[in-house]
Amino acid sequence: MSEAIRLEDVSKSFGEYEAVKDVSLTIEKGEFFSLLGPSGCGKTTTLRMLAGFEIPTEGRILLEGEPVEDVPPYERNVNMVFQSYALFEHLDVADNVAFGLKRKKVAKDEIRKRVEESLELVSLADRAKSHTNELSGGEKQRVALARALVNEPAVLLLDEPLGALDLKLRRQMQVELKQIQREVGITFVYVTHDQEEALAMSDRIAVMSDGEVVQCGVPEEVYEHPAEAFVAGFIGVSNLMEGIVQGKDKVKLASGQSVKAPLPEGCDKGEKVQLSVRPEKITLDDFERGMVTLEGTVAERVYQGVNTQVTISLGDGASVVALEQQTYRASADDRWEPGAKVKLGWHPDHCLVLR
Amino acid sequence: MRADYWTRFLIPPGVWLLALFAFPLMLVLALSLGYVDDLGRAVYGTDWSNYAEAFNPTYLPVLIRSVGYAAATVALCLLIGYPIAYYIARFGGRYRYALIAALVVPFFVNYLVRTYAWVALLSDEGLVNNFLVNLGLTDRGIQMINTPWAVIGGLTYGYLIFMILPVYASLERMSPSVIEAGKDLYGRPFRTFLHVTLPQTKQGILAGSVLVFLPAVGDFVSAQLLGGPDTYMVGNLIQDQFFAANNWPFGAALTVVMMLFLSIWMIGYLRSASRDARGAAI
Ligand SMILES: Nc1ncnc2c1ncn2[C@@H]1O[C@H](COP(=O)(O)OP(=O)(O)OP(=O)(O)O)[C@@H](O)[C@H]1O
Ligand SMILES: [Mg+2]
Repeated sequence: MSEAIRLEDVSKSFGEYEAVKDVSLTIEKGEFFSLLGPSGCGKTTTLRMLAGFEIPTEGRILLEGEPVEDVPPYERNVNMVFQSYALFEHLDVADNVAFGLKRKKVAKDEIRKRVEESLELVSLADRAKSHTNELSGGEKQRVALARALVNEPAVLLLDEPLGALDLKLRRQMQVELKQIQREVGITFVYVTHDQEEALAMSDRIAVMSDGEVVQCGVPEEVYEHPAEAFVAGFIGVSNLMEGIVQGKDKVKLASGQSVKAPLPEGCDKGEKVQLSVRPEKITLDDFERGMVTLEGTVAERVYQGVNTQVTISLGDGASVVALEQQTYRASADDRWEPGAKVKLGWHPDHCLVLR
Repeated sequence: MRADYWTRFLIPPGVWLLALFAFPLMLVLALSLGYVDDLGRAVYGTDWSNYAEAFNPTYLPVLIRSVGYAAATVALCLLIGYPIAYYIARFGGRYRYALIAALVVPFFVNYLVRTYAWVALLSDEGLVNNFLVNLGLTDRGIQMINTPWAVIGGLTYGYLIFMILPVYASLERMSPSVIEAGKDLYGRPFRTFLHVTLPQTKQGILAGSVLVFLPAVGDFVSAQLLGGPDTYMVGNLIQDQFFAANNWPFGAALTVVMMLFLSIWMIGYLRSASRDARGAAI
């Protein structure tokens, strides 16, 4: 695979305020790449620099090997899908989609053909002559997508494209978007603050915080091996527990118990750390050899159908959340009454020590 | 029952319209069928001769001139007003409202007074000519007053704000991301303006054009103060019937004809323009 985009130490300041700090990333051709992070962390700013709407204060941006940081948007071979759709209300659906090709002076016959094809791709072929204000939110989003894809850009930029849709439509569009991306094979750079969406759709994810990229990797890696407490906390429920390093692979929790945990390189005795265990890795009253076990009190139980979510207090204010599968052997109703004592355990391998 | 409740609120404005708009209009209509008696008083009657007189070909040039001046005024207001509105809406930032207020305030000064200021500036011994002569650029000054340009200039100055405000409102309503979408889709700045910004602000331009055209075509102040016999407009003609010739019935007939003409014309214009706006492919 060759690279589609490379950012080298890119920073962007608005006056005194540094919105993006020293970001370096390489995005491969054909990749579905997500920028994930909380509100205000600089995702949109990064995307707008890729589109050409903002010029980086420092650093270089390479598009298919060519430096583009000073190239205006209308000369860049990238297209953007805006969160607010930004459709041209004075044009019908087909003319919206044809806009870019017309500006590029593509021949009329070819424009007609390509517009038809891309409307087909987003399943809107029968709405070509509709006026944009007759469309639903999901349809508008698809017109915006077709309008960008029809130009066959090197990279497609999407800024929270599903943000305005309701949950059900969102799920449906996620699947559709991923299918379309596979079909056209264009590099997608996708901005979202929804971690589930990023995990479900992306080939790779860059997690951003305060203008910096704190971790970049495939979804499994970002989820299973978060590099920092921030990532662990942002992606999924992570059960962060305070502790102090006691010796080789031994951590003393703030709530008093001593547990076995694989320490990262260079952890010294007495250092303050945080333990993170994903809820689905915690078992209740059902252990295997080599597990770490603790005692706690059931604080809350939420029945969720497939799962039951149990919150267990470890004493001293600390608590963890465990997700227990409903299986053919056991159902939720007779287990883990609030107030009951419970034993919980996990494999030391599933426990992450964050500094 | 509910409908009754709400329709009650229509009574005061209805009465107001009836008393201050419909009733005077009736008076004008009635007066236009009247005649002037030997003592020079207007008398109501059923005399159609005023209308026959109103269509006398001698008045045709005046009508054409009025429409021409008004159209030129609309064009100038658009050329001057659009960029002003555009810069305030897009780059005014938090000073937008202050800038709009700064534009509106001079229009609180009476139109007549503002036009007199132009007379002081443009007349043969006015400020501008004095300045030019003192600089030695000409020895006798340039004739600016009594020309069609002075009249159109006065009209433009007088009604500019009616173009700026609706255009500004339509620009303000437009989301900046639409312009960015245009640029993102390979529209160079001017092309983006032509194919995105301009069509999206069409409603504002339409409204502004009507708001400028209507008062401009019936205006008499600008032609009276800044023009001469060659720049006589319909407004002057009508005014003269009321205040100089003392022929109120004929003035009324002219007013009615003018009103009908403008109504038909405006309805046609607005309908075709809004059809254009809907059917506009790039
Ligand atoms: N044009 C600008 N002028 C000044 N500050 C700006 C500008 N654009 C963005 N910022 C600031 O930069 C920071 C990052 O903004 P950005 O829009 O990139 O965040 P984001 O990650 O996209 O957030 P969200 O999820 O809310 O969209 C914010 O604090 C924002 O206030
Ligand atoms: Mg954003």
